[in-house]
Amino acid sequence: MRKSFALALLLVLAGAWALAQAPVEITVWWHTGKPEELAVISSQVEEFNASQSRIVVKLVNIPEAEYTAQVRAAGLAGKLPDLLDLDGPTLANFVWNGWMIPLDEYVSDDLKADLLPSIIAQGTYPPDGMLYALGVFDSGLAIWGNRRYLEQAGIRIPTSVEDAWTLSEFEEALRKLASLPEVQWPLDLKLNYGAGEWFTYGFSPIIQAFGGDLIDRTTWTAQGTLDGIASVLGMTLFQHWIEEGWVVPASAGDDAFYGKKTAALAWVGHWMYEPHTQGLGDDVVLIPMPKLGAGCRAATGMGSWAWGITSTSENPDAAWEFLEYLLNPDQILRMTAANGAVPSRKSAIAQSELYGPGGMLNIFVEQLNTIAVPRPVHPAYPTITSAFAEAVKNIVAGADVYQELHKAAVKIDQDIEDNEGYPPFGG
Amino acid sequence: MNKRIGPSARLKEELTAWRFLAPALLLLLTFLVAPFVMSVILSFTNQRLVSPLPTRFVGLRNYVRLFGDAGFWQALKNTMLFAAVVVPLQSGLALFLATLVNKRLPGRNLFRGIYFMPVVVPMVVVCVVWYFLLMYPEGLLNTFVQILTLGRAGPYDWLRNPSLALPTIMLVSIWQGVGFQMIVYLAGLQNIPRELYEAARIDGASSWGQFLHITMPGLRNTHIFVLVTTTILAFKLFTQVEVLTQGGPLGVTNTLVRYIYTAGYRELKVGYASAASVIFVLIVLTVSLVQRRLLREEREVG
Repeated sequence: MRKSFALALLLVLAGAWALAQAPVEITVWWHTGKPEELAVISSQVEEFNASQSRIVVKLVNIPEAEYTAQVRAAGLAGKLPDLLDLDGPTLANFVWNGWMIPLDEYVSDDLKADLLPSIIAQGTYPPDGMLYALGVFDSGLAIWGNRRYLEQAGIRIPTSVEDAWTLSEFEEALRKLASLPEVQWPLDLKLNYGAGEWFTYGFSPIIQAFGGDLIDRTTWTAQGTLDGIASVLGMTLFQHWIEEGWVVPASAGDDAFYGKKTAALAWVGHWMYEPHTQGLGDDVVLIPMPKLGAGCRAATGMGSWAWGITSTSENPDAAWEFLEYLLNPDQILRMTAANGAVPSRKSAIAQSELYGPGGMLNIFVEQLNTIAVPRPVHPAYPTITSAFAEAVKNIVAGADVYQELHKAAVKIDQDIEDNEGYPPFGG
Repeated sequence: MNKRIGPSARLKEELTAWRFLAPALLLLLTFLVAPFVMSVILSFTNQRLVSPLPTRFVGLRNYVRLFGDAGFWQALKNTMLFAAVVVPLQSGLALFLATLVNKRLPGRNLFRGIYFMPVVVPMVVVCVVWYFLLMYPEGLLNTFVQILTLGRAGPYDWLRNPSLALPTIMLVSIWQGVGFQMIVYLAGLQNIPRELYEAARIDGASSWGQFLHITMPGLRNTHIFVLVTTTILAFKLFTQVEVLTQGGPLGVTNTLVRYIYTAGYRELKVGYASAASVIFVLIVLTVSLVQRRLLREEREVG
């Protein structure tokens, strides 16, 4: 009797000891970006798992197109992973729904000082001022140019944000490029991406350059701002480029700029770095966003995917360890070398050839410090972006600019009203 | 006969019948009746997909907003137009193909396979492939059109041209679905007794006469099945529109199901989407009942 009791106790203790030694498993959801990014994150997960035995990271790749919807469904079902990445502007909505935990207790002062201000701003939830998400990189949006075509047409290539083209220079350039025999459409606006986040990210800077915006950021009302004169002017200009036949149509595919070379300029973000450099080699040049607005104002997009720890996670400390690993300057540079984005830490930028002064992608850094405008930080953002994207889609097809923007503004205001102003945001 | 069985035995019979029905009834209740009842209830609330705010009853507000939304009416119009064109066209084409592969021509089994193959390919794959065929200006379809018209008809932007977008969706749908109706018609054709044709030929009827007076009446039940199912499927149009045009350009290809989907999942307005889906079910129900009534009346007269 005594012997079997001792044996049982030994087994229980052995089991408990084994459990305590078992590595903690954390699930990480990633939005499956470009293949180059996938290669980097997969090897980062492998190396992290190999470097220690306390934490095992399981990476789940979810297609980008339905990623936010999947997170929402998981949030509804209470089945969120430990760590997930989220598109910057959706942060306010996720935190408002109670899915994320603040990271302030984990972030050291050194780390905070080293991160770009735009990264801190993107990850901060306005009502409580706490940090909920940290990005490994920030985005860059500019005009990629084919140097050969530009020189052939005799167009000046700006070298800094100060030096950017004015509106008349930009349209003159489009006109001259259109007359080149090899160029079918001077400007690729990536309309083939379809009416999704790209339409908001890529084209709201146009209305912002004119002084308009998606929504008034103090009263949180869209009518009067999104359908105001400045925004209407901006989108009318946008429609004018399409009507002139200067823009690659959506049905012409993705590679007019870097593959078939039937386009001379591409208005797109950092993620095309690999395809562009592979397709055009030394011929590709990065041009700052033109000064479209009255008073020579320019604007560009910012904000990108950021990582956050969920409120349902049972191992937030382990999740933070992995996130800290991803935020290591060397790891950041690995990712940005693959996707051309701006590293989120000043120490990483300093180490990089691409982003340092004189580097090919230095324009992105300059823009982030000068003309970049964040997308609205508000829980209604999903509605804001889908309403605006729908309006852009119809404007591309030739609809009346004011009517479309007005419809979108009404939709946004109705959503905010339906949600009782998203307390505590008000509006 | 039942008078000779005692009341307790009859009860037992009924209970047994219910027991046999129970699994099927349970499935119907869980997956058909319950969700519909939930939809009706939700349509009177401001339910959102995710929200920390509590749900409130809003009465008829969703329905009022629905009927006041131009986008809803456009989606309704597009769906009805699509059904009105695709149902006769696809059924007619299916009947034509079925009579063709029913004849004793060489290679008819091969052709049966070829015509049926698009049906087994998932619609999403079909749409992705057609997206490349429809590319502008150098897609395969444009090249084909230019060869046929000797370069006179210019390349068309099939999916971005507001007047061409819906006909293009109809084309893709018919291409994918015609094989299925063809097989159904083939089965129907093979059920018509051969003697009728022989008798008609002896009497000197032309092949068109035979078709009109033997084939068509003989296929009455098949017609009913094909027309009703094709109509219901046509009303459910979603995949092609979502993949190829996303409801554009200018909403000319938006359909009711896509309208419900974007309202519910993209804009998170579950209450509003429920109201739209209740209206959708009522419309499809009405159309099906009208169709069945018309077709049945013909049968009684004939």
